Amino acid sequence: MILQNLSIKRKLTLITMLTSSLALILSSVSFLIYDLVSFRHLLTQDLMTQAEIIGYNSAGALEFKDEPAATATLSALTAKEDIVTAVLYRPDGKIFAHYFRGSTTLPSYLPSRLQEKGYRYVGGYLEVFHDVTLNGERVGTLFLQSNMRQWSMRARRYASILIIFVLVSGLFAFFVSSRLQGLISNPILHLEDTMRMVSANKNYAVRAVKSYGDEIGRLIDGFNTMLSEIQQRDTALQSTNGELKTRTQELEEEISHRKQTQEELLNAKHAAEEANRAKSTFLANMSHELRTPLNAIIGYSEMLEEETRDSGKIENVQDLRKIQASGKHLLSLINDVLDLSKIEAGKMVLHLEAFEVSQVIEEMVTTLQPAAAKNGNSIHVHLADNVNTMRADITKVRQILFNLLSNACKFTDRGTVSVNVEQIKVEDRDWIQFQVRDTGIGISAKQKENLFQEFAQADASIARKYGGTGLGLAITHRFVQLMKGCIWVESDVGQGAVFTVRLPAQVVSETAESVQPESAGKVPAASAETKIGLDTILVIDDDPSVRDLMSRFLTKLDFHVVAAANGEEGIRLAKQVHPLLITLDVVMPDCDGWTVLNRLKSDSKLAKIPVIMVTVVDNEAMGLDLGASNYLIKPVDRDRLAVLVEKHRITRSTTITDDNPVPLSYVVDRPTGSKTAGTRASRSRRN
Amino acid sequence: MQKILLVEDNEMNRDMLSRRLQRRGYSVVTAEDGEKGLLLARSEAPDLVLMDISLPAMDGWEVTRLLKANQSTRHIPIIALTAHAMVSDREKAIDAGCDDYDTKPVDFGRLSEKIENLLLEKKLS
Repeated sequence: MILQNLSIKRKLTLITMLTSSLALILSSVSFLIYDLVSFRHLLTQDLMTQAEIIGYNSAGALEFKDEPAATATLSALTAKEDIVTAVLYRPDGKIFAHYFRGSTTLPSYLPSRLQEKGYRYVGGYLEVFHDVTLNGERVGTLFLQSNMRQWSMRARRYASILIIFVLVSGLFAFFVSSRLQGLISNPILHLEDTMRMVSANKNYAVRAVKSYGDEIGRLIDGFNTMLSEIQQRDTALQSTNGELKTRTQELEEEISHRKQTQEELLNAKHAAEEANRAKSTFLANMSHELRTPLNAIIGYSEMLEEETRDSGKIENVQDLRKIQASGKHLLSLINDVLDLSKIEAGKMVLHLEAFEVSQVIEEMVTTLQPAAAKNGNSIHVHLADNVNTMRADITKVRQILFNLLSNACKFTDRGTVSVNVEQIKVEDRDWIQFQVRDTGIGISAKQKENLFQEFAQADASIARKYGGTGLGLAITHRFVQLMKGCIWVESDVGQGAVFTVRLPAQVVSETAESVQPESAGKVPAASAETKIGLDTILVIDDDPSVRDLMSRFLTKLDFHVVAAANGEEGIRLAKQVHPLLITLDVVMPDCDGWTVLNRLKSDSKLAKIPVIMVTVVDNEAMGLDLGASNYLIKPVDRDRLAVLVEKHRITRSTTITDDNPVPLSYVVDRPTGSKTAGTRASRSRRN
Repeated sequence: MQKILLVEDNEMNRDMLSRRLQRRGYSVVTAEDGEKGLLLARSEAPDLVLMDISLPAMDGWEVTRLLKANQSTRHIPIIALTAHAMVSDREKAIDAGCDDYDTKPVDFGRLSEKIENLLLEKKLS
């Protein structure tokens, strides 16, 4: 482990040193062993040769039992430092003569008995037994013992040399390997340094220097390539980042600019709305102020006319009529201006009802007969068989027809004005199409461009000749638009004109519902005192237009309506007025409809009041679970609402009078129920 | 002779209308504001009231409501005269308890017709 964590330099040095030292030690030791083994062999041969020589010299002494001669021969061994013991045995094994180096006494160790001839190593000593022969006959045995001093001295010397040699060569190997390991480690260390620098400074411009073409060189090449790639990407990223920053800044500027513009626009819008309101109020007041003196002018001139005629002063009658006619003309202008201002203020409301088309046509033709007669025109009416009733704002349809017909009569001299009415189907919808055709002066292409614009009579000279403000067609156009219809003209100068108005057979309009919100509070307030005894309905809805719409609708059905703009107020009013029933919206701020319903139903005094949910939330199951009587989804089907409220009114009146609750489904279909309720329900169904 | 109470604040209109009504053979009592109208309606017991709606102080709606709330005057038919020919005015008039309404400037022929109708209805009932 420790070895593994060493630096690459140390590792390389260590590896080189270990390898070379190990090889050196191994070869030296083998050489030493070989040398020592050969030297011992040499020594053994030498000792055996000695034994042969001494045996030969002492054979005679043994034969003749000459002991001193034998001892003298053995004493010659003093010169041989190695030989520590020499003994001559007689053939029976008894010691004949002996020699011991350094002492005269018998050493403790001697072979206990005679051994076979030959040599052996015993306890660090070399022992040789040699047969002494004379004329081929064994006369005794020689025993020589050597302490191998030469050999051990040589072994010690060689070992010392070996240790010194290994140390010196190890030192040398360390020196050389320390120098040479740099070949490998230096580039790696350099690479490491470079890498550290890159990661520390995030400077991808640095490059590692390649020193050799080996694997490390290739590694450095790869590393450099990688670096330059990163650098490229980094540069690209930085430039993209810069662009992004610039773009973000631009966007922020744009946003703040837009916000400012928006604010300005909003202010301008408020100012414009304020101005428009002021204009409408001004016009309404002005028209009122103008009507009052006109009232006197027309009234007095009419009165004077009657009186003058009675007194027989016929010549003054014409003049008085002119005053009347001018007064009435002025009045119609004021009415037109007021109409236009109401349309522009968005205060023009549609009052939709079903009526017979033929009746309206008849009415208008009768009204305009004098105007037609004045220019010697005749009016022809053609009513298609498929035209029966339509549902629209009858007053506005009247005014449309009146404007078109009076224009036709005005601009035609001794000609015909024809009215053509038919029901047609366009895009799967039923339309009533009114066509007013005349044989008058016609309209040029240029005049047609501004025909339906306010104060844009075809020609200034026309105003002088025919009179009028030029508001008639503009108002007609606006009325047609209000009822989601269309109007157009086909004409050429001198060729007469055909005005076509196409209105839906069943007009549906949001404007009928978006009545001025300020009237919302007034309706129930005004009726609060006068409609004593009427059934009260509490309307809880946060949307003022819904409150107003419901109030108007229910008031028409002869209910007294109390409205609440939020849940809390609704609960308070419910406790206060104990209404016949409650209509309840779900989505309201703070206290939502579910909460209100829950609280109503958990109050024992209020729990019996039926609640009709009127909401955009489609969750009838929840409503009924919480105790609602009925569930209506906005936009409300008025007929259904009418039937439901009538149902509750009848239920209440019957429970009060005969104390016998009538099943609701039965009540609705009962033809002769309560008289008022029956007729109202059927009327609302027709609508 | 049937008596009509005309409540109207504009002098000229009051004068003109009362003279024309008199020419038609009605006896006319006039009041220039709501309070006087209310007092005259009680003291003179007119057969019909022509009520201008935009009156100073107590307006025509208020006078109508008070007249209709009083046992002694509730049977007198009232025709409201409004300057604004708006449908909401008509509804307001009916709500306040008026029997009919007409717009100013009055079309005298039309107004006479309405007066006659109401008086006839009253006689029949």
